[in-house]
Parts: sequence; C-alpha cells; structure tokens
Amino acid sequence: MDIVYKILDFPATKWVFLIIALVMPLASILTWMERRQSAMMQDRLGPNRANIGPIKLKGILHFVADAVKMIFKEDFIPANVHRGLFALAPILSIAPVFIAFAIIPFGPTIYPHSLTSTLDPTLLATGQSPELFADSIRLQIFQIDFGLIFYFAVLTLANYGGTIAGWASYNKWALLGGLRSSSQMMSYEVAMGISLMGAFLVTGSLEPGAIATIGASTSMSGSNPLNWLWLWQPVGLVLFFTAAIAETKRAPFDIPEGEPEIIGYFVEYSGLRWGLFFLAEFIEIVFIAAVICTVFFGGWQVPFLDADGFRIGGYVDQITGVSTGGSVWYLPHAIVVLLQFAAFGIKVLLLCWFQLAIRWTLPRFRADQLMNLGWKILLPLSLANVMVTALIKLLFMGGPETP
Amino acid sequence: MSASHDHHEDAHDGPKVISVADRHPRSRTIQVVRPEPRDVTFLAATAKGLGITLKHFARNFFLPLKSAKDRAAAGAPQEDKWKNEIETVQYPEEKVTYPERFRGLHRLMMRDDGNVRCVACMCCPTVCPAHCITIIPEEAGDKNVEKRPAVFEIDELRCVVCGLCVEACPCDAIRMDTGDHAKPVEDRANAIETKESMLGRGIRSIAVQGGEGPNWKSGGPAQPPHRGGHGHDH
Repeated sequence: MDIVYKILDFPATKWVFLIIALVMPLASILTWMERRQSAMMQDRLGPNRANIGPIKLKGILHFVADAVKMIFKEDFIPANVHRGLFALAPILSIAPVFIAFAIIPFGPTIYPHSLTSTLDPTLLATGQSPELFADSIRLQIFQIDFGLIFYFAVLTLANYGGTIAGWASYNKWALLGGLRSSSQMMSYEVAMGISLMGAFLVTGSLEPGAIATIGASTSMSGSNPLNWLWLWQPVGLVLFFTAAIAETKRAPFDIPEGEPEIIGYFVEYSGLRWGLFFLAEFIEIVFIAAVICTVFFGGWQVPFLDADGFRIGGYVDQITGVSTGGSVWYLPHAIVVLLQFAAFGIKVLLLCWFQLAIRWTLPRFRADQLMNLGWKILLPLSLANVMVTALIKLLFMGGPETP
Repeated sequence: MSASHDHHEDAHDGPKVISVADRHPRSRTIQVVRPEPRDVTFLAATAKGLGITLKHFARNFFLPLKSAKDRAAAGAPQEDKWKNEIETVQYPEEKVTYPERFRGLHRLMMRDDGNVRCVACMCCPTVCPAHCITIIPEEAGDKNVEKRPAVFEIDELRCVVCGLCVEACPCDAIRMDTGDHAKPVEDRANAIETKESMLGRGIRSIAVQGGEGPNWKSGGPAQPPHRGGHGHDH
C-alpha cells in the first residue's frame, strides 16, 4: 500500500492529474466559452449547434469540432522557413506554461489514513500521532521556497516561443509580431514582479502553497475570506491583474497580434501547430487565474471551511492548532478535500470568466500606450505599494518575521 | 501653402497652434492635450465599460430568450422586461418574415386552356437590366395567338429582382409574387428557371389582354380583345 501512496505523491502523477483533470478541460472549454460569452455580451447567441447526435449541451462540444478540424488540416510549412525553429516555436510557447503549473497548489494535503474521520487541527499542528498523518499526498507538484519567482522565470520563456516563431517564419509581418511580443514583455514584466512583492511582504513567504494556506495572518483561520490577500493587497491585485493580462497577450494588450495590420507571429502557421499557439494562450489564461486565485483569493480554501469542518464565528490558530469559539459542523476529511478541490476549480473558472469579460470590453492599446502604462503608471504604483506595505508591516505589525 | 496648412490643423482635433513666432515662421507654440489625471490609469473607464458589458451579459445569461414575435419587432420598445436582449434568429427552425412587398421567384401565368400566356413579344428580355431572360419564340399553331415561347429561361443567378419584366409585360404572363427566394443550388445550371418550372408555380390568369383600348377615358365597356381566343374568361 505504501508504494501506491508513493506513486500518488510522485510529482509526475500529480502533474498528469492536474493537466488532465483541470487544465486541459478548462482551456478547451474556454475556447467555446470565449465565443459564447462575447456573444452574450453583444446581444448575440454564439455557437450553440455543435453536437454528437442528441448530445448538444448548448454547443459546448464546439471545442471537439475545433480540435478535430485542426488535427486534420494540412500541416503546411512554407518555403524558406527555418524548419527546426519553426517546429520548435509552438512547443516553446506551450511548454513553459505547463511547467509553471508545478508551483500551483490545486488542493489541500490529503492524509489517506484519516480519509473517513474528521481531522483534528491541534494534532495536525503539533505533530502528535504521526501514524494518522503518514503517507500524506500534497496536491502541489513542487513545493519550492521561491515558488512565484520560479513562475516569473519560467513563464518569461514562453515569450521566446512567439519571438522565435516570428523569426523562423521568414515573413516580415510575423517578424514584427515576434518583435512586438518581446517589446511587450519589456513593458509589463518589471511591474508584474514588483506588484506581487507586497503580497510576499504581507505573508512573509514566496511559496504559493504557504500563501494559500496561511493567508495574511496566522492568528486567523486560513479559510476566513478576510484573511485572504485581496483585502490586504488591493492595489497589488489590480496591478498584477493588469500586468497578467498583458502576459497572456490578449486584448486590451494584444499587440503581438493585430488582424488589421500585422497578423501576428503565427501568420505562417496552420493546423495543429497554430492550434498549439492558440491553446497556449488559453492555458496561460487558466494559469494566470490560478496564480491570482492562489495569491489573492485563498487558493483552494472554501470560505469558513477549516480542516475539520465549517466553522462559523470562531477561528483556528494556525501555529498551535487550537480552535476558539464558534459553532462547528464537523465533516470527514474526504468531503473536505473534495470541497476544497472543487472550490479551486470554481474560483479559477470565475477568474477566467472575468479575464474574458475584460478582453471583450476594452479596446486594444497601442504599443507606446502599453509602454506608458507599464513604466509610468504600473511600475511607480507597484513600487509605492511595496513601500507602503513595508512601512505598515514595520510600524504596526512588529517588523519582519524571523523564521 | 503654409497658411492653408495651419487652417487645416486648426480644423481638426489634433495639436492646436496657439501662436506663431515673428522671427521664424517655423517656431510656434503648440498646445498639447494630455489626458486628465483621472483618465490616466484607465480604471474609471474600465469599470464603466465592464458595467455595461456585464449588465448585458447578466441579462442575456439569466433571462429567457425573447419570443420570435418580439424579435420580429426589432428596435421596438420591449414589452416583456423579463426577457433577454438576444436578437439572433435560429435559422433552420425560425425564419425571418419577409416584407410584404418582397417579390421573389418569377412565375409564368396560364390561359384558360393551360397554355402559357406569354406571346414572346420580347419586351421583358429587352427591358431586363441584367440580361437574365432568354426567350426563343416559335409559331403557336393557333392563328389567334401567333407566337409563343419555345424556350423561356431566367438565370436566377443574374436576376436582380427589380421587377421591370413584370411591368413591361403587356399580357400578364410573368409575375413576381411568389415570395420565395431563389433556392440554393449545387450546380450553376440548376439555378436557371425553365418555362416548365415557372409554369409549375403559375395559375390561370383572368386578365383581359390589351386593356380597355382607346375608350379607356370614357369608361365605356372594355373593347373586346381583338385577337380573341382568351377574352371570354371574364
């Protein structure tokens, strides 16, 4: 039995589970959801016909039709392209997003030996009766101390996909698109990194798992929505959201693509290679939603659901595990885990929906407008956010924590 | 040239020339319009825009579809405020009702005996602006009729549905009142309407050929049709 738990806790297993159970279905459905939602926002109906026999589901199967079409389209490689880089570019743009998902905690830690019983937070915090908590499965692929820095580093590589695609295509428009893709990265990347530093200061951690579990203060339950960082870092949230939309290369910041002028860095691509760029864009949306959800909205936490059940009015001290006051509705561990995993999915879906809403509301920015926004507004604001957060932390919350 | 250029700039919303220096005609003071401080971050505009789009989304997402009747009266104030605003017509199940004066496909009318009323006078191919009508006349065999079309074809791909052929017809042989639009075809040849297909849509016409003749002003009795043969049907 031990070997089963070992396999389940193996990073590759969790990665496959995360990609197959959450990321790919969400990204595929987003391709349909975007058309459907934009139609709803514009008083239209959107695609609602795709069906397999009588199974119609309001056209949600549209992504299957899209996928089948892309697979069977001709894989056309124009003359004079750099064949190696041309083939490499779609992979370069989709792989970093998959890699970056390694840091996202998509559920709580599962303790297989106490699935049917109610967890005791005190025992969990003090480390007594370790046999109950043995063979734990942490629903996070890599727990690394520099988690969000890892995400910045890896997702920046995705830009090479676009740039290399533009260069390898032997096409002036594609090259312009690729160049714009890298110049756009110059605009948002600095502000994006610094806008999260306030959150790092508040929680004292760079590790998304810790940020999601603990929240802003250890003397409140991690599941208390007031403990989530949207309340403690509202400026950081807005700044990071703006920069993250620029990261996904979609409207209002879809400068690398432009249907009326340059088509974009993937102008020479067709079939499944183009589909990979398309999918990478949607997976990035899911990823950005997952990061925002983890950092600012408590990750997999269900409001007021602690490890032992719903607790109204009281709280669990996160260091000692002692629960104080309130009325508790105890739930078995398995139910709690399921609820929390579902909460993560729902939060990510809602944040994806909000990104689509922004994409279909705002007109696009010019490249110089994005430069102005990134360097003259986002960067000073995020620096000021860091300063103010640090000052408040120093003056009112007892200075830096010593781990 | 310079003066007209200045005027051109003033007329537009672009940079406004406030003053021109005396010493050098090219040095001038230009007023630069910068966005208001509240507009710089785009936050207010974003929130306002999101408010509008999300209002539409919520309404269209949660409220039921309008009925086909409500959609037909597009633009009219909505009667039921608990219906959404989607105007899409679900085509194969629902169809847009055509306006009353929509003409549609041609049809050829028949005499009492079921023969085609057309006398191959060639008025309609002459007036047709799209040159889509082909008529090859032949002897009718009936000395009262003299001519009839051996071939009467209309290329519906060229027809512009102007209705001039109907106005030109002296004997009510061709009408455009079916209200059907041209059917989609897979082969261009199938888009050509033949005499038989247009007669298939036609009915017997009781119109008197030739009208009332020279006595139309006095309102007297209609002149008997001088060629006869089909005037006895009124």
